Amino acid sequence: MNTILRKLVGCSAAVAAIAFTTSLSPVSAQAQSAHDYTFAMITHAQPGDTFWDIIRKGANAAAKKDHVKLLYLSNPTASGEAQLVTNVVAQKVDGIAITLAFPDAEETTIKSAIAANIPVIGFNAGTDAWKSAGLLSYVGQDETIAGKAVGDKLNKLGAKSVVCVDQQQGAVQLEARCDGIKDTFKGSFYVLYVPGYDMAQTQSRIVAKLQQDKSVDYIVTLGAPFAPTAIQAADTAGSQAKVGTFDLTPRAVTLIQQGKLQWAIDQQPFVEGYLAIDFLWLNKVNGDVVGGGQPVLTGPAFVDSTNIADVAKFAKAGTR
Amino acid sequence: MNAITESVETRVKRRQLQQTPLWKRILKRPEVGALGGVILVFAFFYVMAPPFRQLSALSTVLYQASILGIPAVAVALLMIGGEFDLSAGVAVVSSSLAASMFATEVTGNLWTGILLALVLSLAIGALNGYLLVRTKLHSFLVTLSTFLMLQGLNIAITKLVTGNVATEDISGMVGFDLGQRIFASNFHLFGTTVSIAIVYWLIFAVIATWVLLRTRMGNWIFAVGGQGDSARAVGIPVKRVKIGLFMVVGFSCWFTGMHMLFAYDTVQSGAGIGNELLYIASAVVGGCLLTGGYGSAAGSALGAFIFGMTTEGVIYADWDPDWFMFFVGAMLLLATVFNGWLRIRALSRSK
Amino acid sequence: MTSTNTPIIQLSNVGKSYGNISALRDVSLTVRQGEVTCILGDNGAGKSTLISIIAGLISHDQGTYAVDGAPMHFTSPRQALDLGISAVYQTLALVPLLSVWRNFYLGSEIRKGSGIFKRLDVKTMQQTAEREVERMGINIPDLEQPVGTLSGGQRQVVAIARAVHFGARVLILDEPTAALGVTQSGLVLRYIATAAREQGIGVIFITHNPHHAYMVGDHFMVLSRGEVELDTPRADLSLEDLMFHMAGGAGLNALQHELHRGEPTTAGQAA
Repeated sequence: MNTILRKLVGCSAAVAAIAFTTSLSPVSAQAQSAHDYTFAMITHAQPGDTFWDIIRKGANAAAKKDHVKLLYLSNPTASGEAQLVTNVVAQKVDGIAITLAFPDAEETTIKSAIAANIPVIGFNAGTDAWKSAGLLSYVGQDETIAGKAVGDKLNKLGAKSVVCVDQQQGAVQLEARCDGIKDTFKGSFYVLYVPGYDMAQTQSRIVAKLQQDKSVDYIVTLGAPFAPTAIQAADTAGSQAKVGTFDLTPRAVTLIQQGKLQWAIDQQPFVEGYLAIDFLWLNKVNGDVVGGGQPVLTGPAFVDSTNIADVAKFAKAGTR
Repeated sequence: MNAITESVETRVKRRQLQQTPLWKRILKRPEVGALGGVILVFAFFYVMAPPFRQLSALSTVLYQASILGIPAVAVALLMIGGEFDLSAGVAVVSSSLAASMFATEVTGNLWTGILLALVLSLAIGALNGYLLVRTKLHSFLVTLSTFLMLQGLNIAITKLVTGNVATEDISGMVGFDLGQRIFASNFHLFGTTVSIAIVYWLIFAVIATWVLLRTRMGNWIFAVGGQGDSARAVGIPVKRVKIGLFMVVGFSCWFTGMHMLFAYDTVQSGAGIGNELLYIASAVVGGCLLTGGYGSAAGSALGAFIFGMTTEGVIYADWDPDWFMFFVGAMLLLATVFNGWLRIRALSRSK
Repeated sequence: MTSTNTPIIQLSNVGKSYGNISALRDVSLTVRQGEVTCILGDNGAGKSTLISIIAGLISHDQGTYAVDGAPMHFTSPRQALDLGISAVYQTLALVPLLSVWRNFYLGSEIRKGSGIFKRLDVKTMQQTAEREVERMGINIPDLEQPVGTLSGGQRQVVAIARAVHFGARVLILDEPTAALGVTQSGLVLRYIATAAREQGIGVIFITHNPHHAYMVGDHFMVLSRGEVELDTPRADLSLEDLMFHMAGGAGLNALQHELHRGEPTTAGQAA
């Protein structure tokens, strides 16, 4: 199973390198013996998600620069992600970067990794749990802070009633975003769960919500792929609701340029992937622990019509 | 001899006079349970959720149902033919990915992509069917394998071709306007926006029902699923019927895939997983037997309608979103139990 | 109504071997219009090899097989079927969940219209099926009712009637009464007799129940280990004789003698 995954990772990364003239050349395509270390990156990504792909590109960039071999593994379920940790510990990797999306399920296996003297760094998810799980550092956006920032922004924009579109019920970082908004936002607030990437079902549910509650004047999607669908849903429902989103995709950038999407709150996933691997490398070669017990924040950064031109060119390359 | 023939004639005539009344015959149809379920769920939300009563809400519910319903009608035919297709959910995405990437990266014209996707979808269906008749494995295993392979291919090939895991925006490309008008346009009816997908869904359900009940092919589908050996013994080309059914599912996946592509412009390569079960569930709620040989295409459309009403109804009723999936499951269970109860009563009554 | 002496099928010294093993040796058989030929025998006696040859499932490798006087070597059941030689196996080739009339026409549906609007001629099929079913004298209240809800005998009769309707001149019935109770067997036997006498069909009736065979048979053949043990017209045979041969004949007699040393046995008791 793992060898197959590794082959797939290596294979797709190799072709990506041929297809693109960016500097993001993969490391795993080279012979294993040439690397100083092997690091595993374990995420709760649903396969085929743009956001996670950017994280992975960042991780690949760091791996190349640091001359290490990168194993990228993902499983969107709690037990699945925990199992991946067990696997890479058995493989005796030199470091693990992990998203703490399901801290309770992952804690035991992470402890076993630490017991095996493998440095573990958290990123992207698990702002509240990384310390108690014994992780060295944490790279990411504090989701609650990001949520609060969105709540403030909504207040400033004069929104009265907000629907928050959550694509993965039960994932802590998405819940934290919602909680953050709820914390600072003064109007009425409703969470709408949608099933993964099924856009037809997502649109239908948003339309139904807008028809059910006509006072909704703002939709916040917790993932950027859902922003265009939310805009379309508002159109179908004949609603005047405006749309803002967490994260960025090339499509979201275009929509901001067109004025259809009001803003996106960017946690700079490339940086998350990049720093997580780089911090592991620093720890191995120099014993460094970055952050001083505090999370290393990569966001939030608002992208809207005022700064979209600068962001657009990086988004086109698929790194923002 | 003459005397016998006469008495036969009179008996036949007498029988025609006593023909079973229409309502009794309707009660015996496989989809009657699903129809009861539709009425029950509709009445339930009509009472519980005032926003559900708007015409525009019906349009939203029907749209949700049609996206599931188009493949579900084809899956019902396949299940009546005695087989499963677990790959249908991701095959929809494979189709839209193929169309989008071939058009954006190779030819620049969407219609070449649409045609390529059609060929691909039919080929996936044919492959499923061919593997089935060749390996003689259960279709559950065969299509589970193609499901997993397609799932991997969707992501891997998208990454190879685009460098990302989602395709580029196709709106504004050559052929987009016509494609959108055909596959994903909206029109206005009684002051409500209605998706054309709903119209296609109804058309497909009617065609499939007609084929099942009024054509030789329909007879053969029932026979192949009901008792394959008997079908073979009377000269029905069982293997060809099965491969054909998988290709019909492939066609429905293509059609749904084209709707998704033109309605949402970009495609996430990881989408579609899990929908295959909703198609199968719709068919089963609609009266199809898991063992084959019995069922209804119209019933499968009703099954999809029940699912659409349930998922949307929970939102219209403004129930706690944390309980969303629970409510959907509970409503489906209720509809299915009611459906089974009604079917049994109908069968025993009209005997 | 029919002349009972026109031979349709004539087998002379037919045999079949699989490598060194000979499944069937030296079988001669004549099936005539309007006659019921019963073939009896124990399991493995060669009954199925024989009917497989007649129905065209396998090809014989010794002797001659003539239909209407012309020697034949069938390579598929279709060829036999085209000459009016039709087999009804125990599985009946019926689909339980399909209605009676749909089963009746399965694989030979009548259609009307043209092009993509070519459709089933439901009315004609229903009426014809109804007439045929009535003619067999079984009472099926509703032709829309699934075949699976009919009794075992009724199902047999539907399958036989279907073969007759689609032009069978020779009907091969493979143990039609094997799984049936007394009443149901009676239904089927009555229909076999009717089919032969009134419609002039040559029937080959495979069974291992000598009582059933004797009720309808005109000619009897008992097979044992691939060879003909008995081949005689009804006139020369009593039920007791038939039962004796069926029960294993001389071989069984010897066995019984061995098991019950000194006890006198008769053919009647042996059965």
